[in-house]
Amino acid sequence: MVQKSEQYSDATTTFAFVDGHPFSIIPGETILSFLKRHKGENLVPTLCDAPNLDPFGACRVCSVEVALEPDGRRKTMASCHTPIAEGQHIFPSSPAIQDLRKNIIELVLTDHPLDCLTCEVNGNCELQTVAAQVGIRDVRYPEGETHLHREKDLSHPYMTSDLSKCINCYRCVRACDEVQGEFVLSMAGRGFDAKIVKGIDQSFMDSDCVSCGACSQACPTSAISDIFQSKAITATETTRTICTYCGVGCNLEVSTTNGEVVSIRAPYDAEVNQGHTCLKGRYAFKFYDHPDRLTSPLIKRDGVFEKATWDEAYDYIANKLTNYKAEFGPDYIAGISSSRCTNEENYLMQKFIRAVIGTNNIDGCARVCHSPTALGMQRTFGTGAATNSIQDLQHTNCIMVIGANPTDAHPVTGAKLKQFSMKQDNVSIVIDPRRTELARYADYHLALRPGTNVAVLNMMMHYILKEGLADTSFIESRTEGFDDFKQHLLQLDIDQMETISGVDRALVRAAAIAYASAPNAMSFHGLGVTEHSQGTFAVMQIADLAMLTGNIGRPGVGVNPLRGQNNVQGAADMGVQPHQGAGYLDVTNPEINQQYNDFYGVTVPTHIGYKIPEMFDAALEGKLKAIWIIGEDVVQTDPNTQKVIKALEATDLVIVQELFMTETAKYADVVLPGASFLEKSGTFTNGERRVQAVRQVVAPLPGTKPDGQIIVDIMNRLGYNQPDYTPDGMLEEISQIVPFFAGIRWDELDINGKQWPVAPDGTDTQILHQTEFKRGLGYFEFNAFEESKEITSHGKDYPYILTTNRELEHYNCGAMTRRTGNGEILKSDYLMIHPEDAATNLINEGDYVCLESPRGKVDVKARITDEVNPGVLSTTFHFPEIMVNNITSDIHDSEAMCPEYKVVAVRIRKSKGKFKVG
Amino acid sequence: MFLAAQTNQIYQIMSTNLSELSGRKGLQNNLFDKMGQLAQDTGTPSPEALEKLANEFLVGKANTYGTATFYDFMKPENKGKKVYVCNGTACLCAGTQDKVIETLKTNFAADEIGHMTCLGRCHENGAFHYAGKNYSGTAIGGLQDILQSDSDKNQDGYTAKANGTAILTQPFTNIKAYYAPFRAALQKDAAHVLNEIKASGVRGRGGAGFPMGLKLEFCRKEESDTKFIICNADEGDPGAYSDRYLLEQQPHSVLFGMLIAGYVTGAAHGIVYIRAEYPEAVTITQAAIDELRTEGLIGENIAGSDFDFDFKIIQAQGSYICGEETALINSIEGQRPEVRVRPPYPAQNGLFNKPTVVNNVETLATLHYILENGGAAWKAIGTDRSSGTKLVSLDGLFNHPGIYEVEMGTPLTAVIYDLGGGFNRPVKALQIGGPLGGLVPITKVSELTIDFESFSQNGFLLGHASVVAVPQDFPIMKFIEHLFDFAAYESCGKCFPCRLGTKRGQELATKALESDYKIDRKLFTDLLTTLEQGSLCAHGGGIPLPVRNALQYFEEELKEYFN
Repeated sequence: MVQKSEQYSDATTTFAFVDGHPFSIIPGETILSFLKRHKGENLVPTLCDAPNLDPFGACRVCSVEVALEPDGRRKTMASCHTPIAEGQHIFPSSPAIQDLRKNIIELVLTDHPLDCLTCEVNGNCELQTVAAQVGIRDVRYPEGETHLHREKDLSHPYMTSDLSKCINCYRCVRACDEVQGEFVLSMAGRGFDAKIVKGIDQSFMDSDCVSCGACSQACPTSAISDIFQSKAITATETTRTICTYCGVGCNLEVSTTNGEVVSIRAPYDAEVNQGHTCLKGRYAFKFYDHPDRLTSPLIKRDGVFEKATWDEAYDYIANKLTNYKAEFGPDYIAGISSSRCTNEENYLMQKFIRAVIGTNNIDGCARVCHSPTALGMQRTFGTGAATNSIQDLQHTNCIMVIGANPTDAHPVTGAKLKQFSMKQDNVSIVIDPRRTELARYADYHLALRPGTNVAVLNMMMHYILKEGLADTSFIESRTEGFDDFKQHLLQLDIDQMETISGVDRALVRAAAIAYASAPNAMSFHGLGVTEHSQGTFAVMQIADLAMLTGNIGRPGVGVNPLRGQNNVQGAADMGVQPHQGAGYLDVTNPEINQQYNDFYGVTVPTHIGYKIPEMFDAALEGKLKAIWIIGEDVVQTDPNTQKVIKALEATDLVIVQELFMTETAKYADVVLPGASFLEKSGTFTNGERRVQAVRQVVAPLPGTKPDGQIIVDIMNRLGYNQPDYTPDGMLEEISQIVPFFAGIRWDELDINGKQWPVAPDGTDTQILHQTEFKRGLGYFEFNAFEESKEITSHGKDYPYILTTNRELEHYNCGAMTRRTGNGEILKSDYLMIHPEDAATNLINEGDYVCLESPRGKVDVKARITDEVNPGVLSTTFHFPEIMVNNITSDIHDSEAMCPEYKVVAVRIRKSKGKFKVG
Repeated sequence: MFLAAQTNQIYQIMSTNLSELSGRKGLQNNLFDKMGQLAQDTGTPSPEALEKLANEFLVGKANTYGTATFYDFMKPENKGKKVYVCNGTACLCAGTQDKVIETLKTNFAADEIGHMTCLGRCHENGAFHYAGKNYSGTAIGGLQDILQSDSDKNQDGYTAKANGTAILTQPFTNIKAYYAPFRAALQKDAAHVLNEIKASGVRGRGGAGFPMGLKLEFCRKEESDTKFIICNADEGDPGAYSDRYLLEQQPHSVLFGMLIAGYVTGAAHGIVYIRAEYPEAVTITQAAIDELRTEGLIGENIAGSDFDFDFKIIQAQGSYICGEETALINSIEGQRPEVRVRPPYPAQNGLFNKPTVVNNVETLATLHYILENGGAAWKAIGTDRSSGTKLVSLDGLFNHPGIYEVEMGTPLTAVIYDLGGGFNRPVKALQIGGPLGGLVPITKVSELTIDFESFSQNGFLLGHASVVAVPQDFPIMKFIEHLFDFAAYESCGKCFPCRLGTKRGQELATKALESDYKIDRKLFTDLLTTLEQGSLCAHGGGIPLPVRNALQYFEEELKEYFN
C-alpha cells in the first residue's frame, strides 16, 4: 500500500487505484507495467508478453477489470496493451477476472499435450506456471479436434521445434521480427488451424534461419527449443559472463551442471544485448571441452611434438629466452598477444615483453584489423576508440555503415542496425562493394570498387561543402586545419573520382546530402575501411565527415568502429602495440617512460618495437630469435601465408599458447595449453569502450592454465616478481597506470560494466569529446586517393579484384566455431562471383574456381550471386582447407601497417580443385 | 527495442517492420495487390512466386506464405477451385444451396467447387460465383448457358427505395452537378467542412456507431505528410448488401465522401477495399474513378486548389475479419490480417504506420447530403442520438426483399411489414446486424425501432442493419452451430479466446446435435463469457450475443441439448 507521504509528495504526480489503493503512474505506461511496478512481477499472469517484445494482446490472461469510479461499471481489458490513465480503478484479481483467466487456460489445455512430467521444460514452463497460478483442476470440454499430432523438427544442429506444444502466442514470430529482424517465422493458415511456419513451411535447416535462438528463448513452452534444452531446469548453477566472439560484448548467462556447461541464454537486463545474442554466443560453446583441446604443454624435438610438464616447458622457454636476451639483446625477442584474452592477460603480456624482456616488440591482432582506426582517430580526435555507444541508435536519424557487414560479423549490433534501416523515416547509407544484408535495406548503397573508399569519402565531403551543408560553427569552435582541407576538397576532380570508384556521382551526392542534413548521424565502420593501403586515411575521412557536419559529442552521432574481436579494444588499451604502452602512453617520451620505470620497478625501452609484419620481416632477415604468440593463428589469418610460414621457420624459438593445434601451432617449438573464456575471470572491453566482467564458469580443463597465470609463471621464472593472476588484483594494478581505468574496480563492475574513461570516483563515460577533443581541437587533414600498388603493379595481368569477408557462422580462423555445430551449418569457404563473370569463365554454381594472384593459387567453390558486382570476387578464410591467405598480398596501410586483405588482384579459371589444401 | 527496461515501461509500438517495409513501396506497387494477381491463374500463388515477392519487398518468405495461406482465395487449398457456392446465413436459411451444389456437381468435380461466404445476393438466394461473376435466384437453372456462353444470366433484381427522405437512394444526376458541393468545399477552410460533419452527428454505419466527425478530427490533428482514407467495402456480414448497392448503384456517393474525408484530414490517398465476392462492384467503382479523372476531379491540385487526391481499389481475397479496421489495414499492407491492439488507433498510426481514417461505405455516402444541405439538415432527420437515414437490407424470406432507406427511429414493424411486405413463409426470428448481431425473436419485433439506442437497450445490435429471417422450421441449435462454425472459420486466430473458443463452441453444438451429448450449462456460459470478455476484437467478443439471445428466447426448443 502506498505511503501517504508519497501520495501527497509531489503535485505533478498522478495516481491510479489498485483495489481501492492509490499508486503513482508514469504517463504512457501500460496497466501491466503499472501493476508490475507496484505489485510485483507475478501478480498478473501473462503468456504472450515478453520483456523484449512489444505488447501483442493475444493471450488475454493479463486481463484486469477497469472502472472510472470505485463502484463504477467495470470493463475487462488486457493490461499488456492498455495504457493506464489517471484516476482509473484497477481490479487485477477480482473473482470475474480469476474465472476469465481460468477459462482461457482451460481452452488452451484442450489443445496441449498433458505430458508435463516428461516434458523438457517441466518446472520451467510458463504455461504450467500460469495454469497452476489460476488453479486449473480439470478440462471440462469433451475431446475435440487438436494439433497434438504435429511432427517435431529435429533437422537443425541447434534449433528444434515441437509444435504440438505450441500455444500460438506468437512470441517466436515477434522475436524473429522485432529482435532479429529476420522474418523466418510467421503464422500460416488462420483461426484454430493457424500454425507457426519457418519460411514456406520448411524445416529449420532448410529455412533462412540465422540460428540466433531468439525464438527459442522467447517461447514460453518447449514448442521451439534447442538441442541444449536451454529451458530445462537441470542446471545447478548459472554464471553471468561475456561472450568470447566479437566486439559487441554480449552478456551471457551460462548454465552448468556438475562443472560442465549445459546451455547459454542472454539476460534481458544486459545493456549491450537485451536478451539477445547470436548463434556463436548462444550455441557455439562446445569447443571448450572438445577432444581437440590441447591439454599438455608440448615441446617439439626432432620435428615431433612431445608432451612435457609445465616445469619442463617453463624451463625450456626461460633458458632459451635468457640466452637470446644475453646473446642478441632483447630486441631479438617479440610477442604477439591475444585479443581473445582478458585485459589483465594482455596487460601482463605487454608488461612481460617490456619490463621482463626489455623490448617494445609487442603487437596484437589489431594490427591486421583496426590499427588504422586507432591511429586515424587518434590523429583526428586524440582517442582511438568509438566516440559513442550502440544504444545511441535510439537517438539518431541516420546511419552510415562503411566497409562493414555487421549482420554477419557483429550480429547483435547488426540486427539493431537492420531494425533501424527498416523504418521509413530513418536514413541509412551503406558504402560497400557488396550488397550486404544492410545494403538491401539501405536508402543509399554506394557499391564502390574495392579500395576506393578515399575517393568516395572525398566526393561526399566535396558535395557537402558545395551544398553549404558544413556545420560552420562547429568547425570554427572545435577544429583546426579546415581552410586547407576545404580548398583541396573543392578542387576535387569529380569526373576522375567517379570513374575510379565506379559510383554514380548523383548517388554519392544524394547520400552526402542525406548524411549532412540529418539532425543526428552516426557512422559505423569495419575492416572494409581499415584493411587497405589507405586505411588510416579513410578512417580520418570518416572522422572528418563527422566534424564537417558537427556530428560529434552528443547522443546519436559520432564515429563508431565495429571492433572485431571480443577484446581487441582492450588489448590496445592495455598497451599491446609497439609504440604505446598501457594506456596509450608514448614509449618514446622520457617523462612517460619514467612513470613506467617507477611503476614496473625496471627500466623499460624507449624505442618503438616491431609491428607484426615487421616481426616477420625481421625473422626472415635473421633478426628475430624468439616469438611468443598467444591465441592468434597468424599462418591461417595473416596475409601471404607462405611468407609467414618462412618467417616462423626462420625463428629459433616459436612459442604458441593456444586452445587447439592451429596452423600456427604446428610451426611452434613449444606449445602451451591456455584456457578458454569459460575457464577464467577478468575483463573484456567491447567496441563501445565498455569494460565488462568475465567470470569463470568452469574450472580450466585438466592440464591447461589460464593464459594470465602462464605469463605470470614465466615472469617469475625470469626473475620478475609478479603475483599470481587474479582479476581483482590485476585490475587494481592496471588502474594505477592506465589513466582511463583509474576508477575501475573488479567488485564495482556489476552486470553491465563501465565505459572508459572511468574517473577515480567510478563515473564512466558514454560519449567522448562532448566539449573538447582529447587532442584539444579536432584536426582536418586532406588526403588524396591513391591507387593501391596491388592494382598498379598487377591489375593488368590479374584483372579481377578479390576481397575478403566474414560469414555469420564462423569466427576468424574458425578454430573454435568449426569445432561446434556451426560447422554443420556452414561447411566450407566459398567464392562469391557475379553471374556475368561466371558465364564468361564457364563457371557453374559449386564449381571450383582457381584464384591466382602474384603470390600463388587457391581453389574455392563458386557461389554465383549478384551480391558482388562484375569484376569483384569475395571469399572468406574460416577454413584451413582453402588458406586464401596464400594469395593475399603483403601490401599494408601506409600509416598503420594493416594488411590490405580487401584488395587482391587475381585472375580466375574453372579448376578441378587441385590447389585445395588438405 | 534496445533497452529492455524501457520497452515494458513506456507504451510504444515499435514492432512495425512489416508495415514499414510494405510502406516503402507505397500503394502503386502494393504487396497484397500483387499476391492477389499471382493467385489469379491457379487459385494460389506458387512458392517460387511468394519467395520472389518476399525478396522484392524485403520481407520473409514466411510472411508472404503466411499471408497467402490466410485467405480463402489465395490459400493452397483454393488451387483448382472453379466455382464457389454461397454459404452465407440467408442462403442457408432459405435452403437453396443444396440444389445449387447438386446442379454444379453435374459439371464440376467436387474438389472444383469452393465456398464463398455471402455474395450479397441475400434477396434472392441460390447464389454462386463463376468466372469472376455472381449468379443468384433461378440462375442455376440456366447453368449450361452460363458455362457455354457469355450471355448474361446474371439476375440481380431487388427493390431499392426510401420510406421518407431519399438521401442515399436518391438517383444520381450527373457528375458535374453531383460534385458541385465538392468544388464548393475546396473553396472553404477544411475546418469549416469538418464542423458541418460534426454538426450532423453522423455516426459510423459499419456497426460500432462511432461519430464520424470525431474520427476525422483525430486524423486531421495528426502531423504527417502522408495520410490515408480507407473505404471499408468489405461487407462481409451475411445478409448485408447495402454497401454492394451503394458501390454498384451509387459509386459516386462513396467516392465523394472519400474526397471530402481526404480534404478534411489532409489525406491525399484513398483506398477502396472491396471484397472479392463483389466483382461487379470493383468494375463499377473503377469506372466511376475513371470518370473523375476525366472530369479533373482527382489528381494533383484538384480544381486549382492545393488539394491532391487519388484512388486505388484493392480487391480483397476472402476473409471476413478484414472488415475489422486494423485487420483491413494489415491486409492492405500484405500482412496477415490479424487484429492489432489499440492504442495506437488507426487515426494516429494506421496504414504503413501513417494516420488513417477507415470508414464504412455507407458512412462515406452520407457526406454528399451533409455537404449539400448542411450538418443541421442531417441532424434534423432521425432521432436525437441516431441522426439521419439508414439503409436496411432484407433477405429472400421477405415478400419484397431489397434495400430500404429509412429514417433513424422508424419502427421495425414498418420495415418488415410496410416495406418488406411480410414473409413468404413462417418466420420465428430475425438476425439483425450480421452474424454478430442479435437474434430477435419475432415476438420482440414490435418493441424495436431502427436506431442504435433502441437495439442496444433491448439487448440487440443494430449493426449494419441487415435482416436475415430464420424460418419457423429451422432448428435454433442448428443456427447456433452455424454461428459458431462461421465465427471459428473466420477467426483470425490471434487471440486465445476466439481462436479456441469459437472452435470448441462449434464442437459442442455439433456434438449435441449429432449425438445424445448434453452440453453443460455452466461450461457453455463460461465459454460465452470468456469470448465476450476476453476477445481482442468484436469478432470473438460479438458471437455470444446472438447465442445468448437464442438461449433466452428459445429456451424451450434448446433445453434438450443441455443439462
